[in-house]
Amino acid sequence: MAAVQGSIVDAKDEADIKTEPAADGFGNNHANDAGVLSASPGSSAAAGNNKPAAGAPEDQQTLLAVLQFLRKNKLSESAEILRREAGLPEEVLDPKGADSAGSGLGSGADIDGGDASALLSRVTITAAGGAKAPTKAAGEDQPDVNVVLSAYSQQGDPALYEVYYSGLKKFIESVLDCHRAELSQVFYPLFVHMYLELVYNNHEAEAKAFFEKFSGDQECYYEEDLRILSSLTKKEHMRGNETLLDFRTSKFVLRISRDSYQLLKRHLQERQNNQIWNIIQEHLYIDIFDGMPRSKSQIDAMSGSLAGEAKREANKAKVYYGLLKEPEIELPLDDEDEEAENEEGKPKKKKPKKDSTGSKSKKQDPNAPSQTRIPLPELKDSDKLDKIMYMKESTKRIRLGPDNLPSICFYTFLNAYQGLTAVDVTDDSSLIAGGFADSTVRVWSVTPKKLRKVKTASDLNLIDKESDDVLERIMDDKTASESKCLYGHSGPVYGISFSPDRNYLLSCSEDGTVRLWSLLTFTCLVGYKGHNYPVWDTQFSPYGYYFISGGHDRVARLWATDHHQPLRIFAGHLADVTCTRFHPNANYMATGSSDRTIRLWDVLTGNCVRIFTGHKGPIHALAFSPNGKFLASGATDGRVLLWDIGHGLMVGELKGHTECIYSLRFSRDGEILGSGSMDNTVRLWDAMKAFDDLETDDFTAATGHIHLQDNSQELLLGTYMTKSTPVVHLHFTRRNLLLAAGAYNP
Amino acid sequence: MSAPKTIPKDAQVMIQILKDMGVTEYEPRVINQMLEFTYRYVTTIIEDAKIYASHAKKSAVDADDIKLAIQCRMDQSFTSPPPRDFLLEAARQKNQTPLPLIKPYTGPRLPPDRYCLTAPNYRLKSIQKKVCSSSSPPTPEPVEPVCSLTSDPSVWSSGTPSVQSVSSKVGTPVSLTGQRFTVQIPPPSQTATTKTTASPAVSNVLINPSLIGSKNILITTNMVAQNAGGDALKRKLEDDDDYDAL
Repeated sequence: MAAVQGSIVDAKDEADIKTEPAADGFGNNHANDAGVLSASPGSSAAAGNNKPAAGAPEDQQTLLAVLQFLRKNKLSESAEILRREAGLPEEVLDPKGADSAGSGLGSGADIDGGDASALLSRVTITAAGGAKAPTKAAGEDQPDVNVVLSAYSQQGDPALYEVYYSGLKKFIESVLDCHRAELSQVFYPLFVHMYLELVYNNHEAEAKAFFEKFSGDQECYYEEDLRILSSLTKKEHMRGNETLLDFRTSKFVLRISRDSYQLLKRHLQERQNNQIWNIIQEHLYIDIFDGMPRSKSQIDAMSGSLAGEAKREANKAKVYYGLLKEPEIELPLDDEDEEAENEEGKPKKKKPKKDSTGSKSKKQDPNAPSQTRIPLPELKDSDKLDKIMYMKESTKRIRLGPDNLPSICFYTFLNAYQGLTAVDVTDDSSLIAGGFADSTVRVWSVTPKKLRKVKTASDLNLIDKESDDVLERIMDDKTASESKCLYGHSGPVYGISFSPDRNYLLSCSEDGTVRLWSLLTFTCLVGYKGHNYPVWDTQFSPYGYYFISGGHDRVARLWATDHHQPLRIFAGHLADVTCTRFHPNANYMATGSSDRTIRLWDVLTGNCVRIFTGHKGPIHALAFSPNGKFLASGATDGRVLLWDIGHGLMVGELKGHTECIYSLRFSRDGEILGSGSMDNTVRLWDAMKAFDDLETDDFTAATGHIHLQDNSQELLLGTYMTKSTPVVHLHFTRRNLLLAAGAYNP
Repeated sequence: MSAPKTIPKDAQVMIQILKDMGVTEYEPRVINQMLEFTYRYVTTIIEDAKIYASHAKKSAVDADDIKLAIQCRMDQSFTSPPPRDFLLEAARQKNQTPLPLIKPYTGPRLPPDRYCLTAPNYRLKSIQKKVCSSSSPPTPEPVEPVCSLTSDPSVWSSGTPSVQSVSSKVGTPVSLTGQRFTVQIPPPSQTATTKTTASPAVSNVLINPSLIGSKNILITTNMVAQNAGGDALKRKLEDDDDYDAL
């Protein structure tokens, strides 16, 4: 293996040929890479020998680097030859040497200019990549060089990152207007990934400089993320932050039209911009669509989440958003005596509510899931009684509309000292419960009827079980009180939910458990342990028996009251799950998260069927419309977004609140949407109009382009201010009176 | 509220840290809370490091000890949630099993009793020890799982006490949660009846499915008590020692 003392041109050609496949295949074809390099140690030696011709100090470093690489790959003969040829000293095995080789290369490459340096830098970088391998193999758990090269390895020289980024900036500013908005989407993920790479490879100073120079250019809605990033300057800081680790390993999704994409690709593949191209290939997923490039406002509407937008395939699964059929219940004759205005006591057949279930009871709604898709508890007698009450109340329901706004009754929690963390009201509005930061749960009776416990077992034996009012007799009047306090949690209670049959209450807390309380004995029955981290929200299913919870461990879980372990785990969010809501048909559930996305999950399979991006802050409120077709969401950015579940698109945006929105509720027939927020107001929006004229043509469905009308002002029906009380909960009673709750905060 | 002239240096540093992290609005007591946390944390770390240094027979604490102390504390207190791939894998496995079918008419749907918190968490101790056979202290009223002791002797004195029935079934519900309350109650002979008459009635009620589901909660609890009583008899010997110690 004679060293090739050829002319510079020859050696350069060889270097050229060798590095072409290396550079192109860098991100993708590492096996080939290492193969190429190790298969031609002669040529690498040649390349190494080429260096002295170009300049002494940097080449020394390069030589050391190449030597390291050869030694690492156990090419001892070639290593010896190289060492002898280059006249390097014996002990060059110091990993730190390789490190300084890496940084030395940087300065070296900086000095030269022109095409020769470009070629040189490519070779340098390949060698640097190889040189980095020993250090990384020492530092990480992955000794495999291929894998190391493919991981967050040095894609280029740290000092050059700024150059690459500014180059890209200049290019994008020079393209046509229509493409510029789309291509600007690339800035943020590229910036974050480059910064994280610098931090990960311990180039603290360069990382700081890079951050300072370019962080100001990013979009304003990424401000929170950037602040977190700015505090992250060392590799150790990254280790505990799961969200950032997920961000590193997951691909940021961008939607770019084909023309813009071609432009970008062409620019990046020529000349030295390969580094950015590599990063893009590795960390970004570009969803290309054919059609017109999107405008800035369209892009802004959909972007903002931690993982970019949603891929179009993610929103293509079929979702059965219809409601389940109501069971046939005959109104018994004797129940009509209280209804004075009812006509001749003719037996009412089923067609009870004029509104929801309606006349299509024979035909199966094609969009509704079958009754047996998920097992649901059967209807007990008490449930049937409840349903009858429900139907009666709904006949007295007020029809709301823009000219017929609901009255709002506000329940203010006094002396809570900012400790009120959760509120829930039963469906028939008879009980209200509050969860507090001192880990207690209190239940109050809204009606004049007091709360009573069930009698003790010995007393129960004495009552007449066959009497008609046995349900009254089992109650112990000695224990009657306005409110009952439930003790058991060991941390602030962040979520409460009543069961539909009013027998149980669920509460979830920072101690990681979800507790089931009995509302007959007012004692705790079960503690469900599964999340080991704070649980932020919980909710019973509309039919009882199942409930969901979501917490800090980034998953939501589905439980049944008689299983001590969850039945389903919904994993996929990149940050905490802050809000969990069941769909009215109990077959799907929605989760809102701190990663600023909303996901819709199928309870049967546990798959994520929809991803909705567009919020610019963590989501704290979700509400399904009563007909099951639409979802409303509120976040800390103060906007309410409306989503069409069937098509998976954003259909409306309601601007008006100035602070975080903590509660959303549709009226019983879905005509009005109420939103309550930290800015001490309740706002009512015209939901009927917002969902009314939606033409979702094929193009919109296929590409996901949305045209949002800026009609928030028209849709706003009223703003109602409280004195100084943030609105934590909203609830429409069965007759469409709006109840609101919050803690007075002077 | 403007800062007084002499804020301690530590507090000034903390104010600067809060500013750097972007926290602009906070109550004044937040600084004190943050400082307290800082002092406690640093003290814990340094104390741990001293222990490690002395264990390694070093005279002075050095950086390695501190690093080890920090690492151990991190694994203990400041754990982070599991990584994403682990969660996805766990979810995939969990989601493969189909949803279990729901059995109809089973009363309150709760997990098996050992996962519930419905067992009584106290037991009673009698002042006189019965010399004869079982000598197990009489059962209190274990109805309310939270220890509200509604002992109403008047209720208990109905029916004829028979030693056999007492020994066969009635035992002390042993606490399952480890908390114990001891209560002195009037002479056991009077109260030995407890559930003799009660239980048959109770079990009858259980069988009747047409009862509204709400009542079944109580009945379940009673059943628990009975089962626990059975267990207690088996462990009678050790229990007696416990009672003596108390």
